[in-house]
Amino acid sequence: MEIVRYREDVWGREVLLGVSWDLLWLVIAATFIVIMVHAAIMLARKSGPRPSADGERLSRHAAQDRWFHWITAAAFFVLLATGVLPIVGVKFPWLTAHWVAGIVLTAAIVFHIVRSLFWKDLAAIWIKPSDLAELAGGAAAPLPGKYSLAQKGMHLAMAVLVLVAVGTGIAMLVQIDTPWWARSNFLSEAALGWMFLLHGLSTLALIGFAALHLYFTARPEKQFYLRAMVKGWVSRSELAAHHDPARWTPDAAASGDAAQASPGLGADAR
Amino acid sequence: MTAYDVMPDIELYQPATVEDATELAARLKGSAWLLAGGQDTYGWLKDRAKTVEAMIDLKGIDALKGIRETPGGVEIGALTTLTEIVRHPLIGERYPLLREAAAVVASPQIRNMGTLGGNLCQDTRCWYYRRGLSCYRAGGNTCYADSPAGMNREHALFGASRCVAVSPSDTAIALSALEATMIATSRRGSREIPADDFFVGPDVDIVNMTALAADEVLASVRLPDRWANAEFHFEKVADRNVWDFALVSIAAALRMRDGHIENARFACGGVACVPYRLPAVERAVVGKPRSESTGEQAAHLASRGAKPLNHNQFKVPLMENLVRRALRG
Repeated sequence: MEIVRYREDVWGREVLLGVSWDLLWLVIAATFIVIMVHAAIMLARKSGPRPSADGERLSRHAAQDRWFHWITAAAFFVLLATGVLPIVGVKFPWLTAHWVAGIVLTAAIVFHIVRSLFWKDLAAIWIKPSDLAELAGGAAAPLPGKYSLAQKGMHLAMAVLVLVAVGTGIAMLVQIDTPWWARSNFLSEAALGWMFLLHGLSTLALIGFAALHLYFTARPEKQFYLRAMVKGWVSRSELAAHHDPARWTPDAAASGDAAQASPGLGADAR
Repeated sequence: MTAYDVMPDIELYQPATVEDATELAARLKGSAWLLAGGQDTYGWLKDRAKTVEAMIDLKGIDALKGIRETPGGVEIGALTTLTEIVRHPLIGERYPLLREAAAVVASPQIRNMGTLGGNLCQDTRCWYYRRGLSCYRAGGNTCYADSPAGMNREHALFGASRCVAVSPSDTAIALSALEATMIATSRRGSREIPADDFFVGPDVDIVNMTALAADEVLASVRLPDRWANAEFHFEKVADRNVWDFALVSIAAALRMRDGHIENARFACGGVACVPYRLPAVERAVVGKPRSESTGEQAAHLASRGAKPLNHNQFKVPLMENLVRRALRG
């Protein structure tokens, strides 16, 4: 199985073209195996009672952050469909939708970076040495703050991969015609090859991480995180069961009964 | 680039039936070259610009040859030579548009050997691609023709998506104007593909020029009765009158009623990766007589949306003039 695609040019030199898409099937298979193994382990384990969603609602995600998440997710899936389906043989005019979704993703990420740097508690998502104690697992492991070590690791990996995909994607975007500019040839063939390789590798890794993200989102014991990303809140019981109130002290979800009755994306939180 | 001048080692298969050919195509797909008349084959292979492990020579399959009348029109086997099409009375009588298109392909010698299927499925003439450079169409990451120093006099005005190569087929625009359908056959069965869907642009598939799958063989082309005995116009402008590809060409089919155009189909060659239909012109001329003034009114619609490259702006007025001449009658 090839990892990198090369082509011999007219002068007999090898030209780097990008990642070998044989790896796509490897990533899909590996991700599937990881998910199956985890699901089997979790099935064998006796799960305890789930904390109640009733009672006091505490803010976990602000409306801006939830909008960011879902816009990013939508852009990501458009990028994935338009980028990968043609590779597996589904032919359609994919390029415009791909770069438009890429620009949406880039804008969302710029917004998120600015907001995280100046308005959010950046340390809450950053992995600290003390978080490594969570690796012990079971009763010996301390409860996390706002984000668990796994969530922080997922965020860090996704952040690095998305930044690589976006950075290389922008370099590739400059090489095609858009309504705002005519294509440029500022990158050499070799540099373009590296851009395509990094774009492809980051895409493959993102496919794996996104599949894991979806799997954990769908797991019964984690579904309150999905609700939190939709509605913004967790219950006091959920906080107590999964997080250390000493390390994360959220505010009430929103003022008034409206948030309790209909806590939509408008509910605010810090 | 090294010129090898000799054929590389290639396994040769010479099936005698369509079934054997499709079986081989399915087994060897991706690594085999389907050989028809062979007029655009050996250069690729001798230059090592394309490499294949096997060649499936279709010329021994009689079922893929000949022109026959069908209940809905005329069916032409994909292996029918261009000379046979030019000389066939049925084509000359009902579809002289195709006869004229076939008659201007390359040279008499090439028309004697070249087939309709080969003419439709031939690869683009972009020399960067044919030279063996790692361009988009060759599976690479860039286009050499659409670059500041690129020589793109012969390249596309429309529908360029990264790659700016154009379809070189003369018969393709005639078949598009005639609303022909292509019959693609494989081990999975046969399917009928309208001409407008048979040719694909780089926005959909940047490495292939037709919708044929790797295991499919173009078996025949069907010409519907709809456009039989209509009024036609075919014109090809090239640097040479013989043995050259179109800079711009036009095929027009016009159904007249009481001296006015009832229905029309126009397709231009040399301006896009596919036969470039002119729907705005087709709409504009309906109900009008075939005249100088109609041509004058419609000509500017033909080039609407054109995106000329550094060296092919001349194609815009050329295309407009061809529309004028097609409507002049």
